[in-house]
Amino acid sequence: MIVVNGIALDWHEGKTVRDVIREMNYLFPLLIARINGKFIPRNKYDSTEIPDEATVDIIHLMSGG
Amino acid sequence: MADKNMVTIEIDGNSVSVEKDTTILEAAQSIDIYIPALCNNELVEPYAACRLCIVEVDDGRKTKLVTSCNYPVRRPISVYTSSEKVLRNRKITLEMMLSRWPNVQVIKDLAKNAGVEKARYQHPAVDLNSNACILCGLCMRVCEQGIWENIINFTNRGAERNVRMPYDSDQPHCVGCGACAEICPTGAITMADDPNQPFDAEMIRKAGMRITEEMIRYDEEQCDMRGVGTAHLVEIMDAYDLLPVMNYRYGKHEETPKISSDVFRKHFTSGKPDGCWLGCTMACAKAIENFELKTGPYKGERVLVDGPEYETLGGSSNMGIFDPYFVAEYNFYCDTYGLDTISFSTGTSFIMECYEAGVLDKEKTGGLELPFGAKDAALELLHQIGRGEGFGLVAGKGIRYMKKYFVENFGADPGFVFDIGMEAKGMEYSEYVTKESLAQQGGYGIALKGAQHDEAWLIFMDMVNKQIPTFEDKAEALHYFPMWRTWFGLCGLCKLPWNDIEPADNAETDEPAKVPGHVQGYCEFFEGVTGKPQTMDSLVRMSEKVYNFQRVFNLKMGFGRREHDAIPYRSAGPVTVEEYESRQERYDTQLKEDAGIDPTGMSSEEKVALTRKHREAQYEHLLNAVYKRRGWTNDGVPTVAKLMELGVDFPDVIELVKKHGG
Repeated sequence: MIVVNGIALDWHEGKTVRDVIREMNYLFPLLIARINGKFIPRNKYDSTEIPDEATVDIIHLMSGG
Repeated sequence: MADKNMVTIEIDGNSVSVEKDTTILEAAQSIDIYIPALCNNELVEPYAACRLCIVEVDDGRKTKLVTSCNYPVRRPISVYTSSEKVLRNRKITLEMMLSRWPNVQVIKDLAKNAGVEKARYQHPAVDLNSNACILCGLCMRVCEQGIWENIINFTNRGAERNVRMPYDSDQPHCVGCGACAEICPTGAITMADDPNQPFDAEMIRKAGMRITEEMIRYDEEQCDMRGVGTAHLVEIMDAYDLLPVMNYRYGKHEETPKISSDVFRKHFTSGKPDGCWLGCTMACAKAIENFELKTGPYKGERVLVDGPEYETLGGSSNMGIFDPYFVAEYNFYCDTYGLDTISFSTGTSFIMECYEAGVLDKEKTGGLELPFGAKDAALELLHQIGRGEGFGLVAGKGIRYMKKYFVENFGADPGFVFDIGMEAKGMEYSEYVTKESLAQQGGYGIALKGAQHDEAWLIFMDMVNKQIPTFEDKAEALHYFPMWRTWFGLCGLCKLPWNDIEPADNAETDEPAKVPGHVQGYCEFFEGVTGKPQTMDSLVRMSEKVYNFQRVFNLKMGFGRREHDAIPYRSAGPVTVEEYESRQERYDTQLKEDAGIDPTGMSSEEKVALTRKHREAQYEHLLNAVYKRRGWTNDGVPTVAKLMELGVDFPDVIELVKKHGG
């Protein structure tokens, strides 16, 4: 199990940052991902696998007026 | 299995795998092999004008010279960047350039590197200017491709070729962004200084150019502001259950795709940025061209609709209307009548809920049937407001007036209409559902002008990121962001280039939500205009003075105390059983986890009441924390000590706040 923005999610081997963003339906483009506090660049979302028991922060910035 | 999209090539004997259609120049740069290139720049499409980037390509059958900047890699090849043939041709090109522009530094440097000290030729149109235009075309390409304008272009032919604005005259369409001057490798283009004599025009231009470069590089993959403007938020807000649907009862709807940004991109907008301000390269204002009106005084005429923006679209879903033609029509007529689309749509959403709840009927509305989704009747109401007649006379006065009117004239239950009438300080709510973000409830309720999100948009930070869990955290956000965002108003600047485009390194900064790189840019704008150096803190301090003064002004006008920061309950939680049951799992969990109440076996009515009790108490706690952080009394009045600290302790101000316990 992993925790994403305070919400528990099932974990499986090979689950990537992109998988989590899809599962959470995070459509907003201005995101900042951290796994156990470590920053993951946007171009690594597809290739970065999340370890079991990880705490994942998908920080949403702001947009609009 | 080999990836079909990848191709492996050799460059000077070094193997490199790149995505298909990568250019040879990009492939070489990826492994730090230098190829000279004068007319190439990442911000624009390759052009192959200077021909300095030639390389020799061996495809297994034959070898040939190609320009590496625009040669796409599609199959394994061997590339030679410094073969005898390449070097000989590159030298000749440089000799010709040097013969024409002998004093241009960038040409001199490239020639020297290639072993060319002096040209063997005499050019008939030699230009001795050290800032001569070398016809690389970067300026016109960045104007066309980066800024989406076509202000400058090549004119004449042969030795007479040069870069000019059409007819050699000033072009009113030039936004003065300075991108052409910035990208020019020789300094041939210079910007005329502003007539209003800024302290340091160059500092202002440099700061502006950083935003322009970010727009060119990242906008399409970030918010696509130049493509669709703020309309891109429609589908995003729906995905997060934040798009107001049917007077803020719900946050999403199955028909949202009918009014999503893609619909407007395809069918309406002209595909060109239509900026609202000269010089802005975000240019997020959009227009629908040639739209045929179906109703009202201009029925049958084809017009240009200025919009729609997100709020106008969110206003439509709030009325339960998912029809892009309706959106365009109500957008146009609100503009034409001088009405705000937010006030009209939020007001009409309130009317529609009252209609469905039986507070209103056909008789009371003068014949208009106005349940949610009634688009024809909504347009007729809009025209009545414009004409100042019928039920439009009541609706046009806004929700605060209507609530009282419905209670006094139609016997409406005051509790119900005050719960669902979405206004604060007399101004209608803008189009976000705030129920799951306590900080955003405060953002609307405490805002000085009324229920507007532009002081603080904290929903993601609070509800999704869970970055501000305590009352103190929320109060800090409700201090910093309103002060920061007020600063834009003080300076007459738009906020959107602050947070709708993001610098490449923003994610790695300490406080990415504040976009520190852009705050630094605004410090430079201010210093460039006034000559006074600034920091993030000093900008916020400017706002704090004004913000507190505005609060005192509100106090003077009868809007500046705690009671005026109250919000309608719909802003904080579910008013009706139907609303609660639509998200029962969420609300039950929150009752248990946040309020410590086990909802098992309770009726929905009981749960609605308990949720309300909890959430209303939370809001009061929030007000306490925010007032404390801002240096205000518990009644929301700035204290004398705070006003003295800020230097706005004018005698009549002090007298007024003292009267209210400040």
